[in-house]
Order: sequence, then C-alpha cells, then structure tokens
Amino acid sequence: MTNPLMKVKQVSADYKQMDAKDRKRFWVDGILNNALYILMAIFIIYTASVKPAFLTLGSFANLITQVAAYLPMALGIAGCIVLTGTDLSAGRISGLTAAVAAVMLQKSDFANKMFQNIPEVTVGWILVVLLGVVAIGAFIGLVNGFFVAKFSLHPFIVTLSTQLITYGIILWFFGLNGNNGQPISGLSKEYKDLVGGEMFRLGNVAIPTYVLYAAILVVVMWFIWNKTAFGKNMFAVGSNAEAAKVSGVNVFWTTVLVHTLAGAMYGYSGFIEGVRSGSVAAATGLNAECDAIAACVIGGVSFVGGTGSISGIILGVFILRIIFVALTMLGVDSSSLYIIKGAIILCACALDMRKYLVKK
Amino acid sequence: MDNKKEILEEVSEADTKNKPREFRGLYKHVKISVRTLDIIIVTCIAVILIVVALDLRNPGFTITFDSKGGTDVDSVNRMYGELLEVIEVPTREGYEFTGWYIDHSCTEQWDQEGDKIETDLTLYAGWKEKKSE
Repeated sequence: MTNPLMKVKQVSADYKQMDAKDRKRFWVDGILNNALYILMAIFIIYTASVKPAFLTLGSFANLITQVAAYLPMALGIAGCIVLTGTDLSAGRISGLTAAVAAVMLQKSDFANKMFQNIPEVTVGWILVVLLGVVAIGAFIGLVNGFFVAKFSLHPFIVTLSTQLITYGIILWFFGLNGNNGQPISGLSKEYKDLVGGEMFRLGNVAIPTYVLYAAILVVVMWFIWNKTAFGKNMFAVGSNAEAAKVSGVNVFWTTVLVHTLAGAMYGYSGFIEGVRSGSVAAATGLNAECDAIAACVIGGVSFVGGTGSISGIILGVFILRIIFVALTMLGVDSSSLYIIKGAIILCACALDMRKYLVKK
Repeated sequence: MDNKKEILEEVSEADTKNKPREFRGLYKHVKISVRTLDIIIVTCIAVILIVVALDLRNPGFTITFDSKGGTDVDSVNRMYGELLEVIEVPTREGYEFTGWYIDHSCTEQWDQEGDKIETDLTLYAGWKEKKSE
C-alpha cells in the first residue's frame, strides 16, 4: 500500500519535467484509462442535479443493498476469469437454486404450494435448504470445472452447455406437480426475515441482513484468495498454467476447485434472490452473469489472466450499480439498459487490453 | 511458496523478453493497436451517452395492463418512485373485478398506496365469477 498523497506528489513532480508532447499523452492516457470512472461521474452529477433524491441517505442505502445482492456472483465468477476463463452458466445456476429454495421455503398455509409434505419452516430447516442449494450450485460448478480441467475445453463451450442444461432443468422444475410454469411465490415469513430482515435503517430505507452476509463472504473470499495455498495456486495457474505445472501446482484440482467455489457462490446468490424479488420465475437469474463479468472486468480482474483483487471486484460492482441506479432514477428504459451494458462490457475489455499494451 | 513465484516470474520474463508485448489468456490471438482501442473506448462512451440522451427525451416507465378478458385498459407512463394512483377499472361480463395483481396467477395484489414504480411493469386484472341469481 503506497500513500496516495505521496503518489500525487510523485505524479505532479513527473508532470513538471514533461515536455508538451508527453503532457498531451499524459492527459489522453489519463482520460482514456479512467473513461468508465469519468462516465460514472457524469451520470452522478447529472442525476444529482436533476433528481435531488439521488444524493440522499436512502438512495445510498438502496445502492448498498443492490451491491450486496450482486457481489456474491461477481466474487465467484472472478476466480474463473483469473484462470483466463469465464462462466456463462452463473445466472441460470442461481435461477435454479432460487427456485429450489423458494419451493422448499413456501408458507405452510399457502394455497398454491407446490409440494405439500415439506417440513415446517424453521431456522434449522432454512439452513438445511441453504446448504442444499449451495451444494447444487457447487455440483454444477464441479461439472464445469471437471470438463475444463480434464479435457482443456474452453470454459465458453462447457459453461454454455451447462447454462442450457440448467435452464432445461429449471423449466422441468417449474412444470412439476401441475405448477405449469407459474412463478413460485408465497415465501415463508421466517425465510424472508432471515435473509431480508431489517438490520437497521439508513435514511428511511431498511438495510437487509444479506448485506451483513455479503460482508462476511467478502472476508472469506479475501482470505481464500490471499492467504491460502489454493488462492496463490489459482493466480499461478491463471498467469501461466505451464509454468505453474512445472513448479508443482496441481492445475487440475485448482481449476476444478475454482469452478466449484464459483458454483457455490451462485447457489448462495440464488438463495437470496428469491427473497429479494418476492417470487421466483423461470427467467430469474437470466443474464446475471453478464453483470458479474462486467463488474469484474471494470474492477481490474483481467481476461489476460492471473490478475485481480477482491477490492477491485467490490469497486467494479459499485461502479456498475451506481451507473444503473442513476439511470433507473432518470427513467431510462430497461431495454436501453441492455445496450448500455453491452457497451460498458466492450469498453471495459478495450480498457483492459489498453492498460496491458501501454504498461511498460 | 515464494520459490514458486520466482520460477513463475522468471518464466514469464523469458517469455516477454525480446518480443513486443503479446496478449495472454482470453486475448491470446487478439491483434490490435492502442489507437484502435482508443477509438473503441471513445465510441462505446459515445454510444452510451447517445442512448441515454435519446431515452431521456421520453423518460419514465411504462405500466401495461392485462385485463385478462375484460375491457382494454390503456398503458400509462410513470417516473421512478412514483405511486400508481387511480387506475381505470375494467369490466367483464359475468365477473367481478377484484383488483390489479403483480403476477399472472393473481396471488400478490398491487398496493396502490404503498407500491412504488421501479421498472417497467405489467399488471394483471383479477376476476371473480359473479354468483348467478
């Protein structure tokens, strides 16, 4: 950790010694490399001037809540990106686990209950269901990891196929017991309280408990990435798999475990998603991986492989959410948001490559 | 652990020495100049700003109503955080209107005083069969 103040002094001293051409390059580089931050700043300033409500504590609370909901998936997918791969099945896995969790934790007196003979919802049962859905996610992740590691298949191919297979299973699941594809609602109060219960209020907006859980996950993932042999192996495999193999890293198990861990994270994402949106439909989790991947790339988890940090991922999720909260408040249509998301991903990748090429 | 790191660094240094910087990982086969990347970045930012600007000429969210067999109700436009006050009430022969619902199977009713608009929305009419006298 360098002192930011010293860094600014250093940069300004360097700047004074530059000639006109270098100074021009300094500014062009600075503006382009920080293009997304500048974009975010433009949106913040504009939204704040048009909608004063954007700069209130309540709006900040809303932002934190959203970040907490999107963070777990990004933390999981980041590992796959560090291994120079990616994971396209993330959204669907969380959709499946959301549906399973919702069905298992419906109100006992709910008229449209899908399965009648499910135990009374208690804290113990909720934990069992949580472990169950995390295991489902981890299992699909394990399948992804196995095919990627064993046959050196590109993760795009493997995870695209698991994405579709998982979607098929979701559709099956929604057709069970005469449910006929209807969304699953009527979640039990205990489940809602444990996941989305109010911890405290920030400017009249309740902060749900899953914000706390997200903070715990951040700590756990930080520990795994930075303090364990597994984390160090992951970065070694990501930056150069051959070299890692030569120096004795078990590339196969590292790859499998990274995908399994990622799958477990998607499982958890699904578990809170049901409470967050009140009901679970077959489309739940659709394209969620795009947000997570975009957040990681913005946060400096490079597709080049072997680089990235937990703090970067958090920053990435924050930037993406700030932009979307601002745009929603301005009343930008959700169909336009997709175009903007696409442009942001392309822009983030171009920035990623640019930083890699320009670095001396 | 540190030993491993050193070997890794040596190998990757040997890789990059005497060669122009080449991409690894997912960008392995990418051949692109910094200039082209600059153009892509600027274009992306421009596209984002243009899309937002175009959209802001007609801001807000559309709420459509599915009257499920009743008389048609026109869609309305509302801003983020607004309430949906009085909505036109549809009619249907032989049925009684029970309210607007968020889901198609009519389990969660839209609360006109409490629920705020946060995105585009479709509301479904709830119907109850009238008892024949």
